Amino acid sequence: MKGVKNNSIWLDAFFKLKKNKLAFTCLIIIIFYFAAGLLCALGVLFPHYALTNNDRSYLPPSPEDWFGTDIFGRDVLARSFHGIKISLTVGLAGTGLSVVIGSIFGAIAGYFGKVTDDLIVWLYTTLDTIPYILLLAGMSFVLGGGLGTLCFAIGITSWVNLCRLIRAEFMKHREKEYVHAATAIGSSHFRKIFVHIFPNVFHIIIINFSLGFIGAIKSEVILSYLGLGVEPGTPSWGLMITDARLELSRGVWWGLAAASALMFILVLAFNLFTDALREALDPKLRGKL
Amino acid sequence: MIQIKNLSVDFQTAEGQFRAVNQISFDIPKGKTVGLVGESGSGKSVTSLAMMRLILEPNGKISQGQILYEGTDLLKLSEPQMRKIRGNKISMIFQEPMSSLNPVFTVGYQIMEALRLHQNMNRKQALEQAIDLLQQVGIPSPEKRVKSYPHEMSGGQRQRVMIAMAIACRPQLLIADEPTTALDVTIQKQILDLLRSLQSKYGMSLLFITHDLAVIGEIADEVVVMYRGNIVEKNKTSEIFRSPQHPYTKALLSCRPSMIENPQRLPVVGDFMDDRGQEIKKSLQAQPIKMAKKITTADPILLEIKDLSKSFPVRKSIFGKVLEEARAVDHVSLKVPKGTTLGLVGESGCGKTTLGRSILRLIEPTSGEISYQGTNVMALGRKELLKFRKKMQIIFQDPYSSLNPRLTVQEALLEPLEIHHVGNSKSEMKDRTELLMKKVGLDPKMLSRYPHEFSGGQRQRVCIARALAVEPEFIICDESVSALDVSIQSQILNLLVDLQDQMGLTYIFISHDLSVVKFISDQIAVMNKGKIVEMASPDEIYKNPQNDYTKKLLTSIPKGFVI
Repeated sequence: MKGVKNNSIWLDAFFKLKKNKLAFTCLIIIIFYFAAGLLCALGVLFPHYALTNNDRSYLPPSPEDWFGTDIFGRDVLARSFHGIKISLTVGLAGTGLSVVIGSIFGAIAGYFGKVTDDLIVWLYTTLDTIPYILLLAGMSFVLGGGLGTLCFAIGITSWVNLCRLIRAEFMKHREKEYVHAATAIGSSHFRKIFVHIFPNVFHIIIINFSLGFIGAIKSEVILSYLGLGVEPGTPSWGLMITDARLELSRGVWWGLAAASALMFILVLAFNLFTDALREALDPKLRGKL
Repeated sequence: MIQIKNLSVDFQTAEGQFRAVNQISFDIPKGKTVGLVGESGSGKSVTSLAMMRLILEPNGKISQGQILYEGTDLLKLSEPQMRKIRGNKISMIFQEPMSSLNPVFTVGYQIMEALRLHQNMNRKQALEQAIDLLQQVGIPSPEKRVKSYPHEMSGGQRQRVMIAMAIACRPQLLIADEPTTALDVTIQKQILDLLRSLQSKYGMSLLFITHDLAVIGEIADEVVVMYRGNIVEKNKTSEIFRSPQHPYTKALLSCRPSMIENPQRLPVVGDFMDDRGQEIKKSLQAQPIKMAKKITTADPILLEIKDLSKSFPVRKSIFGKVLEEARAVDHVSLKVPKGTTLGLVGESGCGKTTLGRSILRLIEPTSGEISYQGTNVMALGRKELLKFRKKMQIIFQDPYSSLNPRLTVQEALLEPLEIHHVGNSKSEMKDRTELLMKKVGLDPKMLSRYPHEFSGGQRQRVCIARALAVEPEFIICDESVSALDVSIQSQILNLLVDLQDQMGLTYIFISHDLSVVKFISDQIAVMNKGKIVEMASPDEIYKNPQNDYTKKLLTSIPKGFVI
C-alpha cells in the first residue's frame, strides 16, 4: 500500500468518524451528557435538586421551571439531569464489569481450549438459560437494593455475549501464523494472549462496550421501575417514570416526558454512534471509504 | 478474434485516482493461446476482468479504449446484452477452485445452471450434457460424481469442474486466470494437458494469465508481458524466450533458479533495469556456479531426527477415544550437518510443514526422537523449551499473516530480544534492531512502520530479521519464498545464502518448488505421504532419481522454453 500515512487504527477511526457528520453530532451529544453528569455530581449544576417546597407542587412547565415540578415541588429538569449521573454510573460500572469478565473468560476459553473451555462454556450456557430480567431481579433481592448492587448485578449477568464473541475470535487467532511465530521466538502464554491477540480483537470489545452501555441504562430504568433498582428518593429516570405512572391520570405528564426525552436522546445518540464506530473500526473496511 | 485497443482502467482509492491498466493493446487470434505474464499488481487480472466487463463501478472504471469481439465493441453493449456473452461466448476460470464453486450446490447442478441459462436445455438434456462434460475433463465415473459437492473433490478435480463449467457452452474465448497456481506440479501438468486438448478439439482461443514464465512456455503461442499496468513486450513465445527485448522480460527470465545450474547469486531485476524502467547497460560478470556442499559422514551433525511421527485424530468416539487417525509424518529419520541446507520437497499434504513444526515442537510430535547437538529436544520442559527457542527459528510462508498487524516492526523485532534478554538496555536493544534491519537490506528508518506499509518482499525481510534477532544457529524456512513474486524471490534467496555464509547458519528449506530447492540445498529429501522416499545430493536427485515418485515430480515440472 503506497501513500498510507503512519496512522494507528484509532487515529484512522477518528478521522473516519469526523467525516461522518451524524456520528460526530452524536459524539458531541454523548460528551455533553458526560459533562452534565459530572457537573451534577460535583454539585455545580442544579445543586438544589432535592429542595422540596410543598407550595409549588405539580406546577406545569413554565419559563421559570422548564419541565415543571413534581409532587414535592422539586424542579423536574434538575432531577432529570441528576438522573444522567445515575444512568452513566450504571452504564460505565455495570458494562465495565461485564466487559472485564467477558473478555478475560472469552480469551482464556478460546486460547487454551480443552477443559478450560468446557468449564467456561458450561458456566455461560447455564447462566444464559436463566431469563435475564429474572436473574437481575433475583440478585437485587439477595443483595438488597442500591446503586452498587445494581451495577454489580448488571455486570455479572451481561457478559455472556461478549465472552462468546471473544472466545470465537481467540480460537481463530490462536491458529494464525503470527501467533505461531510468537511461539517460535519463545513468547509465553500471557504474552501471546495480551500483547499479540488482544490488540487484534480490541475493536470487538469497544463495540460491545458501547452496545452494553445502552443495555445497562435501559436495565437501570426497567429495574428501578420494577422497584428493584436504586433507593427510592434518588433522582433516577426509572423512579421518575414509576412515579409518573400514577401522576399521568391527573394530567401531570411532564415528569414522564423529561425522563423519557433525556433517555431517548442519549440512547439514540449512543446507538447511532456505535454503528459508525463499528464501521470505522472494522479492519476489513480499513483504507476504504 | 478479440482485439483490445488502448484499454485503460482506473481505480478510485483513498489516495486518489490509480491507473491499474494503461493504454494496452493486443489481439487474441482465433484458436490460439495468448499468455499474459506479469507479477502481482501488474494489471493482468484487471485486464481480464475488463474483458468480461466485471470491473466494479463506481470504484473501478474503464476510462478509455475498445474491446472488439468479432467487430462489436463489448464496452458499448448494454448489461443484458453483455450477460448473453458472458459464460456463453467468453468464459473464465479462476485461480482458487475452492472459493469459485458454490459449496451448497452439487457440481452437476452448477454445470447445468450455465447450460440451462444459455442453451435453453431442459433438466434431462442438461444433466446428460453435464455428465458428458465431466467425462471430457477427465473426472472418473462422472455419473456418480455429478452429484458430488465441491468439498468432496480434490483441488485438481475442482479445477477440472471449473473448466467443465467454463467450456459448457462451447465458448470461443476462455480466459484462465492463474488456473494452476494453487495446484501441485503433477496436477498442474494434467490441467495444462487438458486445456491444450480441449482447445484443439473445440478450436477456441485461450487467454492464459500467470506469473510463471515456465508455464507460459508450455502452453502459449504468443506472450504479452505486463509491468505496472503497461505492456512492455509482446511477441511469439519462442522469440520471447530466445531473444527477450525489454530488460524486464530479461530479468524475469533469468531470476528464476534453473534446474540445471545456477550462479552463486541469482540475478535480480535491479541488475537489468532501474526504478524508472530504464535498461542498465552492464554486462553481467560470469559468476562461479553454485555448488552444493559435499556432505560426508565426518561432518558434525547439528540436528538428528529418529523415527519422528505425528498423527492427528480423524474420528473420535463419544468418550474422546481416537477411533481413526491420520499420519501426517510417518517415522521420519534424517540428519542435518552443521552449516548446510537440507531441502525438503513434496506436494501439498505430504506432511512437510507438519514435520518442520514438529521439529520445533510448535506441534507436539506423537513419537520419535529429536536430538539437537546432543540435547534431547523432546524431553525439554516448558521453561527449558522457551530458552531453547533461541537456537531454532522458523520463517513462515506468508509474510502477510506471520507478522502481527498491530505491532510496529520495531516492536516485533524488540520482542524476541526482550524475551531472551539479548542486549542489556533498551537503547542497546534498539540499536540492535537497526543493525538487524541493515542486515536484511532494509532502511532502519522504516522501523516505526506497521506491517501493512511494507511490500511483500520487504515484509519477508522483516520476518527474516525477526528470526535472526536472537542469533539462532538453525532456521526452518517453511515455503518462505513461495508467496513472493519471482523477482523478489531471487532477492530473498540471495539474502538467505549470504546470511548462511556470514553466520554459519543451518537451514531446513521446505518447499514445493523443485527449482528453488535445487538452488539452495546441499542435500534434498523428497517427501510423499508422510514418509521420506528419497534423500540425496541435488545433482543426484535431478540427474539420477531412484524413487518412482521423485521421477514423477521431476517430469511434471513445466520446462517450457527455459533452459
